[in-house]
Amino acid sequence: MKWANVKWIYLREVRDQLRDRRTLFTIAVLPVLLYPLLGMTFLQVAQFSREHTTPVLVLGANSLPETPRLLHEQKFDTNFASERDAKLLELTIESGLPERVALEDLPAWAEQQIQEGTYDAVIYFPDEFAQKLNDFRARMQQEHSADEAARPETAEEAIPEPELFVNTANDKSRMARDRVDSVLSRWRDSIVVDNLRDRRIPSVATKPFKVVSTDVARERSRRAAVWSKILPFIVLIWALTGAFYPAIDLCAGEKERGTLETLLCSPAERSEIAWGKLLTIMTFSMATSVLNLLSMGMTGAFVVSRIAMLGGDATTKLAIGTPPATAVFWLLLALLPLSALFSAVSLAIAAFAKSSKEGQYYLMPVLMITLPLMMLPMMPTTELDLGMSLIPVAGVMLLLQSLIEGQYLEVARYILPVMGVTLLCCLLAMRWAIDQFNKESVLFRESEQWGLGIWLRSMVRDRRETPSLAAALMCGVLLLLIRFFASFMFAMPTTWEGFAMSTVISLVAFIAVPAIMMSMLLARSPTKTLLLRSARLDATAMAALLALTLHPANVAMGVLVQKVYPYSTDILEQLKAFESVINGAPNLWVLLLVLAVTPAICEEIAFRGFILSGMRHMGHKWVAILVTSVFFGAAHMILQQSLTACVVGMVLGYLAVQTGSLLPSIAYHLTHNSLSMVMAICVPKLIEAYPGLSFLFSDGETGTLYQWPAIAVGAVLALGILNWFRNLPYEHTKEESLQEALDHQSAGLPVKS
Amino acid sequence: MIHVRELTKSYADLRRGSFVAVDSISFDAAPGQIYGLLGPNGAGKTTALRILSTMLQPTSGTATINGYDVLTQPALVRRQIGYVSMNTAVYDRMTAWEMVEYFGRLYGIEAENLCERMETIFERLQMNEIRNLLGAKMSTGMKQKVSIARAIVHDPPVLIFDEATSGLDVLVARALLKTVMELREQGKCIVFSTHIMREVERLCDRIAILHRGHILAEGTLSELAERHNESDLEELFFRLISEHDEKQHGLLATVL
Repeated sequence: MKWANVKWIYLREVRDQLRDRRTLFTIAVLPVLLYPLLGMTFLQVAQFSREHTTPVLVLGANSLPETPRLLHEQKFDTNFASERDAKLLELTIESGLPERVALEDLPAWAEQQIQEGTYDAVIYFPDEFAQKLNDFRARMQQEHSADEAARPETAEEAIPEPELFVNTANDKSRMARDRVDSVLSRWRDSIVVDNLRDRRIPSVATKPFKVVSTDVARERSRRAAVWSKILPFIVLIWALTGAFYPAIDLCAGEKERGTLETLLCSPAERSEIAWGKLLTIMTFSMATSVLNLLSMGMTGAFVVSRIAMLGGDATTKLAIGTPPATAVFWLLLALLPLSALFSAVSLAIAAFAKSSKEGQYYLMPVLMITLPLMMLPMMPTTELDLGMSLIPVAGVMLLLQSLIEGQYLEVARYILPVMGVTLLCCLLAMRWAIDQFNKESVLFRESEQWGLGIWLRSMVRDRRETPSLAAALMCGVLLLLIRFFASFMFAMPTTWEGFAMSTVISLVAFIAVPAIMMSMLLARSPTKTLLLRSARLDATAMAALLALTLHPANVAMGVLVQKVYPYSTDILEQLKAFESVINGAPNLWVLLLVLAVTPAICEEIAFRGFILSGMRHMGHKWVAILVTSVFFGAAHMILQQSLTACVVGMVLGYLAVQTGSLLPSIAYHLTHNSLSMVMAICVPKLIEAYPGLSFLFSDGETGTLYQWPAIAVGAVLALGILNWFRNLPYEHTKEESLQEALDHQSAGLPVKS
Repeated sequence: MIHVRELTKSYADLRRGSFVAVDSISFDAAPGQIYGLLGPNGAGKTTALRILSTMLQPTSGTATINGYDVLTQPALVRRQIGYVSMNTAVYDRMTAWEMVEYFGRLYGIEAENLCERMETIFERLQMNEIRNLLGAKMSTGMKQKVSIARAIVHDPPVLIFDEATSGLDVLVARALLKTVMELREQGKCIVFSTHIMREVERLCDRIAILHRGHILAEGTLSELAERHNESDLEELFFRLISEHDEKQHGLLATVL
């Protein structure tokens, strides 16, 4: 790959995008306009709620007591209403009920008045309100002086009840309620104080204790905590949007305009084109994000300062203010890998799309997958740990949160896994994008009428010697679905006989049989598909030996996985039940037959047989092995087992490819499972009988483990054996041979000018 | 210069199974020669030329250009060719000069040499008026000129024109044919596909009549006239095509 070409393509694409008004609008104009517009609206609303006058009707003013005085010169008394509230509450005061309105009709009448907008709230003080207040006070006096025994209970009905009519479905009316409520409660407090004073009780009696709340967070870390949740989310959403639209224009758009074919017939390699376009998309993704951040920050700062100027306490209430400068720095740094990831994914999708319209359809699924990953770190219980750091996007966001909050020790601990996973995802997405550019079916895709029936028929009719990639994917998904539904349908058996029966039946019926049937239906040569040919005896023996030497490392890996992702209590119970069922096995040989021989044969037929044979049409043997292993891992259902199974699957796939036969893989699988059984059942007894064996084994919390020297020696031997397999001449598929030839074509010729 | 042997391209088709677009064609083209591919729409001309320009991979058969294999050495093949097709558009948001310069850069030509070469090309193709005109504002004829300039900027030994005159008015088409003839004078090996008989008669040294993926006849114009006893190319073309279709129907009838 020539970086000079990548540079020329990048420069052209950037210039092209900058000359496109739509792109400029999305990345530059929109954010610059959007946030000030939002900010202005927010300010308007704030201003409105501050300055809007509230017409309130007060009925029954005659019944109000003389003291404390609630109304003064057609306003609420300023003792109970702040000056602003007193000014904004425009009172219409009536001495009693309105004319021709009976007391029972009052609610309906009030409702109508509020509906018509004449008043935002209506307060009614019933007849003799002041009288009742006085009665209430006198009765309290009485109760106070009476004997304990003779003290009458204060009847509820004795408490006077003024009525406030509001319509909470109406914003203005709700605002009126809040304002009137606060005035009335202050007025009530003042009456309480008066009452207490009458009885010579100090007013502090109503407050027997006071909670003193002290926020130990410093102002800076309080701001950081808020920003660490909000900022990454906003920045990432824009990074994704900013990547997606240019990607569509750069790929699907070029296909539509016919310029992609022009570029493809130039000497630029497909990978150079993909990289040039990727860098362009990344530039725009980051620019969109940064511009949004800047515009939002500036508008935010302005709005907060305006609200502060208006006399509100928004800054303290919202605990925001401008984000700390370090937060912005870390954010920009983390934007780089994430925008690379989003750009690569967008590029691959956009390269696949036939038209811009089709490309836009794919935005929603991408968001559906990405959003949960972005929301996960915002949940209050989510914390940065090893498990979380291995989840793409979420890991980076959590790392970013820790950085903004200044927890550098946490960051140092998890930065490697987070960055490793992100880098791996970037590379995989990029590989996918380049593959899209290499596929003529993607570049010159015509619209074709598609129907499930026609498709299935065509798969049978046009079948080749070994299954197609689509057939392999279909088989993988089908096996997973069957496995998933079967796990719901059949409960875990409690006896050994039931367990043995269900295990053998599910392995044969749900894994081997579907794969065999599909290979008969979707491939012209089922024997070649399932690699059913004899292998060299030494290869099979070496495979078994490899399983033996790799077993210590495998067990150690299992322990490591359990440390990173500990079993949930549910799973632990299941495993315990499984253990007790296994203990019911009559002897080791039966146990091995059920849990080693049967899975080794059935799973190898399906995964290394059918699925791997189909996957190899991709043209990259390692990618084929990896995808097959992911299916193999996923079929194990429990996350911890899936991860280890996936790694073992890589070795199994390698053996199948290098030897062209299923026998070595079966031998490896059989040996591996048998060793695990023997470790669990026989080794503890052996150690008891021969304590000398403890140089090889140790007893861990999770069962018998190998000692470090055993793991190291095993791994070294395993490397030797793997090297032996590497030197075997293996049969390439047509696609793999072509790929190798393409990889080896000479780099270039002397340039003529 | 161009050697095509038993070249076949079939596509997977959901309804029909596999669809053979190009069926085992073979031909050779030499430097200083215009090789015409004549055929109706859907004959397989574009597919064959897309394989030669490495945009499609053949299902079987081989094709080499200047000694490089189109399947296994595509990057090297692309350096040997200039490709102009009705499908290769010009960029809307780039001027004529920028576009040709961009492709020159991708061919790895040094800035100084490139500028010199572009001046010559712009002069020869009379493109100086449109030098700073954006692609979006160009007429079809202007765009075609830019495409040719883009295809010859690296002075390739082989040029492929796929239906290059389609959609052009008579004047522009005539100018294009003149340019193609001048390129032949310079010793280029040219493959020119079209469905217009007049162009073939005026231009091509050898022709292949392509129909439903098959080459029905191949040779110089005089050879074909002699072999089929028909001096009028149009008549010859119709006769060959209808004979082929009748034969196909006849075969099908025996099957049914």
